[in-house]
Amino acid sequence: MNKKRLLMMIEIAIFAAIGFVLDKLSFSLWPQGGSISLVMVPIVLMAFRWGTMAGLVTGLLIGGLQVLIGGAYVLTPLQGFIDYFFAFTAVGLAGVMRGMMIAANRRGQTGKMIVAITIGTFIGGLLKYAAHTLAGIVFFAEYAGKQNVYWYSIVYNGSYMIPAIILTIIVVALLFKSAPRIANPKN
Amino acid sequence: MMDKLIFGRFIPGDSFVHRLDPRAKLIFVFAFIFIVFIANNTATYAALLIFTILIILLSRIKLYFLINGLKPILILMAFTFFLHIFFTKEGDILYHWKFITIYEEGLRQGIFISVRFLVLVFVTTVLTLTTSPISITDGMEVLLNPLKKLKLPIHELALMMSISLRFIPTLMDETDKIMKAQTARGSDLTSGPIKERIKAVVPLLVPLFVSAFKRAEDLATAMEVRGYRGGEGRTRYRQLKWHVRDTIAVLSIVVMGAVLIYLRKYS
Repeated sequence: MNKKRLLMMIEIAIFAAIGFVLDKLSFSLWPQGGSISLVMVPIVLMAFRWGTMAGLVTGLLIGGLQVLIGGAYVLTPLQGFIDYFFAFTAVGLAGVMRGMMIAANRRGQTGKMIVAITIGTFIGGLLKYAAHTLAGIVFFAEYAGKQNVYWYSIVYNGSYMIPAIILTIIVVALLFKSAPRIANPKN
Repeated sequence: MMDKLIFGRFIPGDSFVHRLDPRAKLIFVFAFIFIVFIANNTATYAALLIFTILIILLSRIKLYFLINGLKPILILMAFTFFLHIFFTKEGDILYHWKFITIYEEGLRQGIFISVRFLVLVFVTTVLTLTTSPISITDGMEVLLNPLKKLKLPIHELALMMSISLRFIPTLMDETDKIMKAQTARGSDLTSGPIKERIKAVVPLLVPLFVSAFKRAEDLATAMEVRGYRGGEGRTRYRQLKWHVRDTIAVLSIVVMGAVLIYLRKYS
């Protein structure tokens, strides 16, 4: 087996574990914020370090860990699938901005690199927000009948997802600014 | 701080349910999630409830653990229950007080939905309480094997999942240590202005990530020198064995499905 591929697989596995730990830690870090967590940071990092596919797999694993040991709330098959597997996996799409990020990093253009990171993280975070909102609607459609819950789901999920997206963007940007080498798998 | 976090929910034991093969349990739970939706009247929901109580008794799990797992979704349950009670306007009026009117159909639907909630949460909780995460992963790998034909890397995913599970306790300790070390240097994560707290997160993550990269590289090298070449022809340390009891468990869910379909039609 290709050594680089094996290393990538193991890094993804370990960073999925870090994501899980950071997610559980969020409560003590931000007592007033509920579940505003850093769970997206390792996913975005893997997406920028190894590419979109690696980010997607990291997200998938974190979703799986939530279901296995994190006490996930799977109340209907569809809601569980969207809330855990789809929502976390989608964050990996932050990697679509990897090309721009790497080019800027190589030329030492910190500002441009941060723009790329911000856009990528925003895309990933927004998809996660959309997924949780959709899961909420699916759940209530199945359990609450005909009530109009679109706004409720958008507002409720936004209440923690929007701060989480902003937090993730800031943390990832600071991270890449202070240690740009983490974008490069070779060292 | 980390002591408060409960990692996983598996409680080792020696009950009938504990001893079942993870594959049998996964098939069982997956089928259960689907047959729950067959239920549509009092008889079917009663049958589901009795079936779930039997499973709980067979697993010999203390009720305390089940109730504990239920706590976070209790609000959601109450919310949907009252939504049905107050907004369904069919059937006879049971209770009327000022602007509150409760209809028979609303109460019925509310109870049905709550029972559906309860049995779903109880059965999935019994699975995670009686099966170690690593055996769930092993079971999943075998069950998803047919998907390899679609070029899906099932073996690789299962391997990564096992590595993640293995490293979670280690990483929790490490995060705890780094947090304490940074606190000793005067960094404050839990109070102060939000800007300062966000800044304090970075010195926590950098050492955590750097040591994770080192760990990953060590593990990759260790696996490579031991000749790891991917899934084909690899033997297992943890063998799964299918017993008669596993067949019984799978058959019981099929029978339950048939009973539900019968009760749905003829009662």
